[in-house]
Amino acid sequence: MQVVSVDQGQVCMRLTPQSWMFAQEDTNEICTSVLYSLADSAGGLAVFAGVLELMPIATLDLRMDYLRPVSGDRALLAVATCRHLTNEVAFIHCDILSEGNRELLATANATFMRNTPGQQFRAGILKKEGA
Amino acid sequence: MSTVVDPAQQCSGPAESGKEYADWQALLERIPYARHLGLEVQRDDAGVLVHLPCREALIGNFMLPALHGGVLGALIELTARVAAQSQDTETRCPRILDSHINYLRSAKARSTFARADIVRQGRRTSLVQVTCWQGDENKPIATGQVQLLLPTMAAQQEDRHGH
Repeated sequence: MQVVSVDQGQVCMRLTPQSWMFAQEDTNEICTSVLYSLADSAGGLAVFAGVLELMPIATLDLRMDYLRPVSGDRALLAVATCRHLTNEVAFIHCDILSEGNRELLATANATFMRNTPGQQFRAGILKKEGA
Repeated sequence: MSTVVDPAQQCSGPAESGKEYADWQALLERIPYARHLGLEVQRDDAGVLVHLPCREALIGNFMLPALHGGVLGALIELTARVAAQSQDTETRCPRILDSHINYLRSAKARSTFARADIVRQGRRTSLVQVTCWQGDENKPIATGQVQLLLPTMAAQQEDRHGH
């Protein structure tokens, strides 16, 4: 996965299909889960692009709609937008498009929790500060 | 592929569960992305489940460390797909229409399991609920609902006529 652009509140990522991403052996159809991963990654990055700082975040939920089968011929683009920010939550929308013809392949809506330094994260920071 | 129960027990187990295990394994093996993730079918008293062994490549956040949310998404979607396909009398290959995943607890860098529960298996669609856990099945780390479309003859013909 590559990051193509990061603007305030919007991120574009790109993924080149590989044969291990296929959904079935005898086709070159990309597995929906690959699009899911791409949307989750781009969505998370869009939260950072929206708040303009690096704080731990956590995906609360993600809903994907797969509009059409995706062939492995073209690269995939994910455009994720931070729709709304509250102190605790970020609402993200992500479109997955086919590079070249810009055909809409899938859409995603996700909710991310902001500022979620878990126990392990805090322990890591304390360790670093102590060292 | 490893199993929860030992091979001796497996032979004496109910024949139906053995067939389900073999069906799931055969279906999962035919999915390149499932092989890439290292997904494997296991059996326990409650039925079949899918195991995702932890590897460094699957970590999404090295600071925590935690599994990538997309990897859990894949585990849920692929478990749902295999469950729906194994239930279908014609073993048609279902198309995933949508999935909605809720993340309940942080996913640590360790083995993860998923079990499918078919909410409704219809003629054209199937709705599957999948639960993921790590140490304790009663403390799920994520649940997901996946809607699948089972291809009908009419839809296949439509596809052939240029779509």
